[in-house]
Amino acid sequence: MTTTLGVLIVDDNPALLQALPRALRLRMGGVTVETADSAAAALERIAVQDYDAIVTDIKMPGMDGLALLAEIRARRPDTPTLIITGHGENELVVRALRGGACDFIQKPIDRDYFVAALYRAIRAHVLNRRVKDRQLALECCAEELERIVQQLEREQS
Amino acid sequence: MPETVIQNPSAAVGVESRLRTHIEMLERRLRQRDEQRRAMLHILVDYEQDRRRLARQTERLDSSRRAVLHILQDSHKDKLRLEASRKAMIHIMGNLRETTAEVQRREQELRDKQEQLVQAGKLATLGELTTGVAHELNNPLNNIGLFVGNAVDLIDLAVTEKGEILDELRHAMQQVSKATEIISHLRTFGRAAPISRVPISLREVIARALSLMGEQLRLREITVTVDLGPQEPVVEGNAIQLEQVFINLLTNARDAVAESPRKEIRISGSVGSAAVEIAVADTGGGIPRGLERRIFDPFFTTKEVGKGTGLGLSITYGIIKEHGGTISVVSPPGEGATFLIHLAAAPADTRETSP
Repeated sequence: MTTTLGVLIVDDNPALLQALPRALRLRMGGVTVETADSAAAALERIAVQDYDAIVTDIKMPGMDGLALLAEIRARRPDTPTLIITGHGENELVVRALRGGACDFIQKPIDRDYFVAALYRAIRAHVLNRRVKDRQLALECCAEELERIVQQLEREQS
Repeated sequence: MPETVIQNPSAAVGVESRLRTHIEMLERRLRQRDEQRRAMLHILVDYEQDRRRLARQTERLDSSRRAVLHILQDSHKDKLRLEASRKAMIHIMGNLRETTAEVQRREQELRDKQEQLVQAGKLATLGELTTGVAHELNNPLNNIGLFVGNAVDLIDLAVTEKGEILDELRHAMQQVSKATEIISHLRTFGRAAPISRVPISLREVIARALSLMGEQLRLREITVTVDLGPQEPVVEGNAIQLEQVFINLLTNARDAVAESPRKEIRISGSVGSAAVEIAVADTGGGIPRGLERRIFDPFFTTKEVGKGTGLGLSITYGIIKEHGGTISVVSPPGEGATFLIHLAAAPADTRETSP
């Protein structure tokens, strides 16, 4: 796994934007946490930075978490996105998962669960990326081999 | 006698003069009689006239007498009727006393029922608030968990720096007081309390209502502006009940603007010489023509089944009326609805005690 992880947390509650990043820094070594207090602010950050994971609240004034999720899927399809929901908002959870969220975290947030979910998401993301990289490398090798085979055939004939 | 005259001439002269005297006297008497007779005739004519007049008067008197008799008869009948009426009246008075007692009993019953209704109305308002309030409580609780968890982590990691741990705990305390504020507000609101009348500023009442509704309005992106002018709108009333009025109006406005392109609620007010006027205006779809009167009826609602109790505005109406005020609604087509509240301004000398 890469040494420094970049995580973006999006929520309209200022106290949560204080508490959650600290929790992550305490629990996850070598993590850089940035915050955005609205979906619009988050999109600005996403435009200039490729995060390893994004965590967003669902209920926010203006653009809500579900709309933000759709935007992230369009602009950064590889970035894993986790959704924070209130208790009992099962319908929203289903919509978020269908909309491409990789996991959900219920309020009140269980720190162990949250950190585990975040790691899982990032690991999946990293592994995905590694698989793609390997696949690309393999394709390159295959092309190379093809070329070598063709060259050998020409030399033989 | 003449023989005597002839026999004595001197005596005859005497006789003659006596006779003359006698004749003159007789003539005088005759004239007097004649005058008397004429006078008598006059008197007779007068008498005749008097008699006729008298006869006429008698006749009139007679008819008057008959009339009086009739009247007397009538008055007797009237007296009988009056007596009957008096008896009936006594009866009615008795009934009236019973009825008054009954009315007083009913009034007491009505007051009791009204207090129950006020309480039920508050609970209905609370019920409609619950979802929003639960969300509001969930946030500080969540934050408390995170801050305390951070402090635990710091201690676990054997961080010797006390400041960092204290910082987390202080943040947690702030969130605790935030949650406490919400809970205590709800408790005050829901408590059945005697309806007291004290001078209160509507500015505070509206601020309290907005503190309960704020999160819901904010999440729905509803802009709320409050402009109550420079003068303090002080009325004599019950803070909880008046707060309920504004919660109900804000809840309605919140639902009214849900589908509107522009979501605004404007609370404006002015203080006149004797009255305080507060207007709550929204940019929703307005009230359909012809329903302006019915919306204050109990259980009348245009919301979907299960969405509204239909009690909010009728309770609001009841509270304002109980405070001696008026509430009305104007909803010009194409514009939102505006609720206008008029309440008597509290006398200036009582304003010092305003909380």
